Amino acid sequence: MARFILVRFARAFLTIGVVVTFAFVVLRASGDPALALLSPETPAEAVEAFRKAWGLDAPLWVQYVKYLFAVVHGDLGQSMRDGRAAITVVGERIPVTLMLTAPALILNLMIGIPAGIYAALKRDSLGDRLVMMVAVVGFTVPSFVLGLLFILAFAVELPWFPSGGAGTWHHVVLPVITLGLGGAAVLARFSRSAMLEVLGQPYIRAASAKGVPWASVVTGHALPNAAIAVLTIVGFMVGNLIAGTVLVESVYSWPGLGSLLVVSVASRDLAVVQCILLVVAATMITTNLTIDLLYGMLDPRLRQLRSGRR
Amino acid sequence: MSRIFADQVLPSSKMRKVWWWRDRAIGIAVTWLLLMLLVAIFADYLAPYDYAALDLHHRLAAPLGLGGTIAHPFGSDELGRDVLARLVISIRISLLIAFAATLIGAILGITLGFLAAHFRGWVEQLILGCVDFQASMPFLVLALAVLAFFGNSLLLFVGLIGLHGWERYARVTRALAMSANEQAYVIAVRQLGASPWRLYLRHIMPNIASTLIVTMTLAFPDIILLESGLSFLGLGVQPPLTSLGNMVGYGRDYLTRAPWILVLPSLVISLTTLSISLVGDWLRDRIDKTLS
Repeated sequence: MARFILVRFARAFLTIGVVVTFAFVVLRASGDPALALLSPETPAEAVEAFRKAWGLDAPLWVQYVKYLFAVVHGDLGQSMRDGRAAITVVGERIPVTLMLTAPALILNLMIGIPAGIYAALKRDSLGDRLVMMVAVVGFTVPSFVLGLLFILAFAVELPWFPSGGAGTWHHVVLPVITLGLGGAAVLARFSRSAMLEVLGQPYIRAASAKGVPWASVVTGHALPNAAIAVLTIVGFMVGNLIAGTVLVESVYSWPGLGSLLVVSVASRDLAVVQCILLVVAATMITTNLTIDLLYGMLDPRLRQLRSGRR
Repeated sequence: MSRIFADQVLPSSKMRKVWWWRDRAIGIAVTWLLLMLLVAIFADYLAPYDYAALDLHHRLAAPLGLGGTIAHPFGSDELGRDVLARLVISIRISLLIAFAATLIGAILGITLGFLAAHFRGWVEQLILGCVDFQASMPFLVLALAVLAFFGNSLLLFVGLIGLHGWERYARVTRALAMSANEQAYVIAVRQLGASPWRLYLRHIMPNIASTLIVTMTLAFPDIILLESGLSFLGLGVQPPLTSLGNMVGYGRDYLTRAPWILVLPSLVISLTTLSISLVGDWLRDRIDKTLS
């Protein structure tokens, strides 16, 4: 088990390294930063001085090591738009975004999993068809269309909620529902198929054959096994949620990380974009690491398999 | 010998009813997709005006039925550009980008999948590492970062969207090619001295094509959603060119005054992704149930 955890941690660090290097390579491959930042009329001496000041005249590997050193110390450069450290600019947006994503994730789980389990247990019934139909629609309608639809319905026609901005809990409702429904649809589809897969296993048939009541078969045998499969998709869900936040924040002008990313990309504020990229990567890696560890804990077969083989 | 009755093996009437409805839904979906394809092909003939032509006298004109005139049957936007003309051209551009991107993703993914299956060892580990990385990062964020670093051009944009979803093809191709490599026909062809090129493209490819087509169909809606999402944010297809997401993005400033600008493109995106998803699910159930 210790080895299993160690390998997972090593892989997580390796992935962070890949993302950090990716940002460096892409940044350098996109052209000379000095020429990109300075106007074309800048005299050659000034460009040279700029290069020297920012260490751009050093060999590439020296720049890379310096860059790594800076990243480790949390120094990710300055935002070009307001001159503050990129990490501060990004840091103050993180709690604002979490105000949307955390309740949306809970909504995902609370709607998606019960709906999927219900659909699987009542396979091919009218309820199953209905749940799956809603799920397909929910997952093919883009979140920004859903968001605009909600604004039109619940902010314009029926003025119950504000159409955008932040401040009161009223502002949170529509974005959270928009974010939550799309994810719930994906989760419902997945939990249904995970549950159906488990229900078709021989051990379920064995349990019912020996006379265990169906309710206990479901809660005692089917659900725990389906839960392990559903756990694997939570990492994907978090990724989806982050991508969805970018669009939904833009629709509702919510001042979070997503809006910051869009504005920074449009104005090519590279330091901030890079910082957001690293924050997202760190989030995804932490999520996947947690899932892997939970997975090892929940599924004794996997634990034995790993420690037995390695 | 136990007796089996016909109603135990034949589908129940309930199942038949479900199937009947499903067939109707698939029929509607296919019809819609064909319609979109025709619109994309004959866009030039369907558009009553040039999609970028301004008509400043008739800005934000209402569509027919909401007090509009036949001059702009679907209304006009904030610069007086005809919504019908823009919609038709947008459908063409969005579908073109989606097809091109799907093709790029499929070619890249299938190639890498074959490489992983053929060389194994560290090549396979490297490719699988990339697959894991790609699958774990939300692609929209990666795409936005690349657009920020490189600036936007149509070519880069299409290539970037093509990178979305390559990992699915790579994963599927690798698994299928590895199992094909164990099969008698592949061993026979290899013993006869066929080159790897010939082996993979002429012999293995046709045998796994159906699964790859299903994968493609299932990946297509994601591509459309990604393209329209980025264009909606104003970071995808750049004006004066237009796409469906673009229309929704620019139309949202007139959400209350002129909702017709964004309602139709939103509807087209949603119905198209929905139709392809339905067809994809149906194809998967028909051809290959192992994909999910």
